[in-house]
Amino acid sequence: MAKQPTMSRALQRRENIAGYLFMLPCLLFFIGFVVIPMIICILTSLTDTNMHDPGLIGGGFIGLDNFVRLWGDKDFLAALKNTFVIVIVSVPTVCAFSLWVSSAIYRMKGPVLSAFRCIFYLPVVTGSVAVTVVWAWMYNNYYGIFNYILGSKGLGLIDGRINWLGDEKYALGCIILILFTTSVGQPIVLYVSALGNVDTTLIEAAQVDGATEMQVFWKVKWPQMMPTTLYILVITTINSFQCFALIQLLTKGGAGTDTVMYRIYWTAFKLTEQAGHFGYANAMGVVLAIFIGLLSAVQFKLAKEK
Amino acid sequence: MKKLVATVLAMAMALSLAACGGGQKPSESTPPAAGSNPPASQSTSSTPTDAATEITAWIYPVGGWGDEAKVKPLIDQFTADTGIKVNLEWLAYADGDDKVNTAITAKKAPDLIMEGPERLVANWGAKGYMVDLSDMLDDTDKSEINAAALAACTSTDGKVYQYPMFITAHCMGINLDAFKAAGADQYLNLDTHTWTTEGFIKAVEALYAKKNDTVAAIYCKGQGGDQGTRALINNMYGGTFTNAEHTQYTWDDPNNIKALEQLKSMPGIAFDASLEGGDELKLMYQEILDMAFCWNIAQQLDPASAHGDPGKTMNGQEIICMNFPSPDGTPVLQGGIWGLGIFDNGDQAKIDAAKEFVKYMCDSENAAEAAKISNFFSARSAAEGADLSNIFADNAIMTDYNKVILPNLGDYYQITTGWAGARTEWWNMLQKVGKGEDIAASVAEHVANANAAAAG
Repeated sequence: MAKQPTMSRALQRRENIAGYLFMLPCLLFFIGFVVIPMIICILTSLTDTNMHDPGLIGGGFIGLDNFVRLWGDKDFLAALKNTFVIVIVSVPTVCAFSLWVSSAIYRMKGPVLSAFRCIFYLPVVTGSVAVTVVWAWMYNNYYGIFNYILGSKGLGLIDGRINWLGDEKYALGCIILILFTTSVGQPIVLYVSALGNVDTTLIEAAQVDGATEMQVFWKVKWPQMMPTTLYILVITTINSFQCFALIQLLTKGGAGTDTVMYRIYWTAFKLTEQAGHFGYANAMGVVLAIFIGLLSAVQFKLAKEK
Repeated sequence: MKKLVATVLAMAMALSLAACGGGQKPSESTPPAAGSNPPASQSTSSTPTDAATEITAWIYPVGGWGDEAKVKPLIDQFTADTGIKVNLEWLAYADGDDKVNTAITAKKAPDLIMEGPERLVANWGAKGYMVDLSDMLDDTDKSEINAAALAACTSTDGKVYQYPMFITAHCMGINLDAFKAAGADQYLNLDTHTWTTEGFIKAVEALYAKKNDTVAAIYCKGQGGDQGTRALINNMYGGTFTNAEHTQYTWDDPNNIKALEQLKSMPGIAFDASLEGGDELKLMYQEILDMAFCWNIAQQLDPASAHGDPGKTMNGQEIICMNFPSPDGTPVLQGGIWGLGIFDNGDQAKIDAAKEFVKYMCDSENAAEAAKISNFFSARSAAEGADLSNIFADNAIMTDYNKVILPNLGDYYQITTGWAGARTEWWNMLQKVGKGEDIAASVAEHVANANAAAAG
């Protein structure tokens, strides 16, 4: 009897070792490709590093100069504004639309439900380049289908043409629309699954007590879906903040569609002749990470309070 | 238990650091100054072989050199003749610079690269990554190579970072059938392929009156093909883009502002932020636009790279090359000068093998074939006794181009410091002009940005 605690500790230790060993490969990757680059990024943002400077952090320490410079950089502030517009418009619309579609389809029979899931998930699994090429064709100023439908040969709603991707009035909206179609797939699948897992006894109890459909949804189902909603909010927010491929492929940051992610790329890899460009781009990255972190924290906090 | 976990974590971090930091060691031995002999320490660390048998060449898709089928036989011949294997990789203009810059940072730059002086001389050469090739040029070579091309390939301190291979002059392409249908061909001098600015304006008006739609586009989605918009705006009223010394951007020249105001006022001209040069010439090939500012002889031979008939649109309408319009019909065209440069990777054997490749392609009897592949003109009149001045004698389009377009080649100002930043400022400025912002103010702001960035 006296030996039993020692045996348990040995067993526990063996299990712990096994657990840590299983974690080790991921941990190595996480540290090597996430933690260390993150630290390098933060340190580099405090320097005037150029791309080809020798050493891990090449340039000289300049304190917070890059961050001070950012707040006076008109182009960066415009990119930041555009990024926030994308986040503010796309996150609520993606969540609301996904919830609505999921609520409408989750009770459907197997094959029909699968068909809907496929339809909405298809843009997610299709390569972003392929999706963008099709959208670019539809938006084309000269032979795009939208101008054809809206123009004199179609519905006659517009005179001449609309330069969807070349006019500041429309370009950002066009980007948000594509982002929306590629973002709703995963939330719909998750919401369908979450709705299917709602405790039916609670729903039946509420119905017996005379709750309406709306009351059942908001008072019974919605609280049980809160963890899923939180995940969707955080993921959609991060994806929206990091919108890059669509901008790169469609507008190259022009026509009022520049975002912080695109500006980071442009500053780091295109403006290689400008002194301190790598440190400056890293400072943008740090600012973006801070905003993402803050917004995610707020979302976690609000979800917890709920 | 905690000690064990801490040990494992420490090992993991050390391994990660080693993995990430492994590439730093070579950076301690700075590449030798271009053209100089490598220092002893570098020789020992790089363990050079006596004779390199394999080199890597990265090729930007310059004319026909972007087509592997055309290039490979010549490369195979080089390997057969010299025993040196060449691993060719093609870059795209969209992200080629990113790849090269990343490779330089990672100490994985290729041995050879094909592009123009704005990259090889003004950028990578100026930063000390390229080998000085001046020892490959004797007096005979210098007398045979186009003087302007050689000057552009030479840095301010006299080092040759690019061996010039072929040259062209960028021009305009116009749909002659559309011009004739609109009666706008009366403004063209078809003997010299020139026109005046006044003629250009009238031609656009006539074409617009005929089709009531966009005639030509000032494309400004990005920097792709921006040589066309620069050349048009500079030529219309005799403006300049940089000063003669290539030390300052001068596109706030009143003549350029006048040209921008004129273009902005023309209903047939669209400032289009959804197009780049490549998009624009496709639209002309599809007969949607009647002119393309992003044109050159390679396009004339194979419009929009669609492998259709030379000098024809998709439906067979006739495309002709035109000089850019100028007040008196004497244009100054933007040049394209391409050639080979060698990255200094610290391995003398590889550098020697790369030089052998450069000599084979640029200064031997094979130079004619190397230039012909490009669909551009050889940058030299002769090489090792072989005449290169008329390599396209059997091609009427090339002969015509050589006669009426190439002589108008102007200053190669793309080697001005801060070129990448200036190009960004240019298309952003065009977008603002297109949006209707004050032209003089937009021009002044972006020129100031370009000059500030160039000053570092």
